[in-house]
Amino acid sequence: MKFKIVPIGEQALNIVFPEKIDVRENQLIHNLAASLKQQSHLGIVDLIPAYHTLTVNFDVGLTDFEQLSRQLETFIQAEKTTEITAASQRVVEIPVCYGGQYGPDLTAVAKFAELTPQQVIALHCQQPYYVYFLGFLPGFAYAGFVPDKIAMPRLQQPRLKLAAGSVGIAGKQTGMYPVASPGGWQIIGQTPLKLYDPTNPLPPYHAGDWLQFKAITAADFDQIQQASIAGKYQVKTYRLSETKGAN
Amino acid sequence: MQTAIEILKPGLASTIQDAGRWGYQAFGVPVSGAVDDFSLQLANLLVGNSPEKAGIEFMLLGPAIKFHCPTFIAVTGGSCQPALNQKQIELNRAYQVTAGDVLTFKPMKQGRFGYLAVAGGVKTPAILASRSTTSRLQLGGLKGKLLADGDFLPLQPTYQLASLQWRHCDLPVQTPTKELQLRFIKGPQWASFSTAAQEMFCQQQFQISTQADRMGYRLSGSKLPIPANSMLSEGTVTGNVQITRSGQPIVLLADRQTAGGYPVIGTICAVDLPLLVQAGMKQRLRFQEISVADATKLLRQRIQFLQQLAATFQRQRYQLPIGPQQIAGQRIAQLFEA
Repeated sequence: MKFKIVPIGEQALNIVFPEKIDVRENQLIHNLAASLKQQSHLGIVDLIPAYHTLTVNFDVGLTDFEQLSRQLETFIQAEKTTEITAASQRVVEIPVCYGGQYGPDLTAVAKFAELTPQQVIALHCQQPYYVYFLGFLPGFAYAGFVPDKIAMPRLQQPRLKLAAGSVGIAGKQTGMYPVASPGGWQIIGQTPLKLYDPTNPLPPYHAGDWLQFKAITAADFDQIQQASIAGKYQVKTYRLSETKGAN
Repeated sequence: MQTAIEILKPGLASTIQDAGRWGYQAFGVPVSGAVDDFSLQLANLLVGNSPEKAGIEFMLLGPAIKFHCPTFIAVTGGSCQPALNQKQIELNRAYQVTAGDVLTFKPMKQGRFGYLAVAGGVKTPAILASRSTTSRLQLGGLKGKLLADGDFLPLQPTYQLASLQWRHCDLPVQTPTKELQLRFIKGPQWASFSTAAQEMFCQQQFQISTQADRMGYRLSGSKLPIPANSMLSEGTVTGNVQITRSGQPIVLLADRQTAGGYPVIGTICAVDLPLLVQAGMKQRLRFQEISVADATKLLRQRIQFLQQLAATFQRQRYQLPIGPQQIAGQRIAQLFEA
């Protein structure tokens, strides 16, 4: 695959792949990040995968841009691209209570799509969404993509506060706010899962996973929320090969 | 008695910070850590710590602190006028404290961020291998919050510190300057800016705006023409100068988000970043381009400077005066002065 390496300062560089949003390309980036994590002799201190880039932080006490970029060129070219199969990919199920107080913009999205709210929910839950990367907030997934029909643009005026767990649509993107935050997404529902816990800040999914939303009732919402807060809710995961309609 | 330091008054935006929470940016967890990394590293070395230990960072006004066990301290960063039991002490010098001693500060005359290191570091619980506080996420530090009066921060009592009398560092005094020169390296989106925008960035004067915090400093100046095409979000780095849609720069700092979608025109050199961070509101500044190789050399010089300082302290343990008798002397001298 084509790539170039550019500096971002004296302690970081970007490995840049062709600029596109593409599941296969992005999966290769996550695989590369995982193998680089094993190469402790390179002086790498952190890695930030995004859509088409892999940002590498390094320690100038151990290496520098010249040396590391040369080593990375060789490493990437020698790297065997392992086949990414549906059986090797993970789907994480996110229960969502749609509409009403949980999803104040569901009716607006239905109107935009010229569908009933029920049909919008069915479309949103119809397929798993690929998580390209996490950023903005811990556990905030840049995931997609929703069917064109419900791809409603962001609100004109962002809301000052969205509840933690709010599930929304912003154009073709979909995802959830792990913590209460201002935001301009069309909020169609809310997940009862505690996605961010400051004492254990890593989310139950990571970049390269797929998210499958599942509609639940308000009663389920309360029950799952209590279990999740108590740390007793086991997030459901399965293999992509066990789902229908994944890309 | 609890082996701790007690916060009597919180000061402003006082937090526990170390070298940052590295290794979790792929999950969207910000790095945080001391916003002026050099000052915290120096404070740590002065009290015999490795440079990444956790200390207290404060902004403009330091906290009032009571020590409940013996230890050694050093204060660095902005001119915060520290006083131990109401007697003024120097910046960039190690001091011994005993149970009952009280450290206070006055509002900073110059600079924005001050640092207090204690021997062994502050021992609040580490989360993802770091004690740094990201207050907007209630992460790290003491329950993820800014320090408040009545907080107790655990520490290991320390009774001895080799070559205490020699543990100081004469840094050049930062005098106010009309215009700060900040060196930068071209950023990943440099080429997507027009020649006019590139020239404006290198030639015009900017000013630090009032919107400046641990996440970043917004600068004001004539608006730069922005690239026509928007970009896909990608990873961010501390010191990145993003140009927002309004054509104004934001310099990303310790609490920055891990990914961003604004084009990065340049990245400020690591050695110059503390100058920006410590500069006051409305400070004028100008950018000056340097090569990656030169910036690397500068940063390595800074690392060497700190390593040599630590090595010097190690050697001086064999020079007179040695050991605790000198500390007793320091105490007796204080008694006579009082």
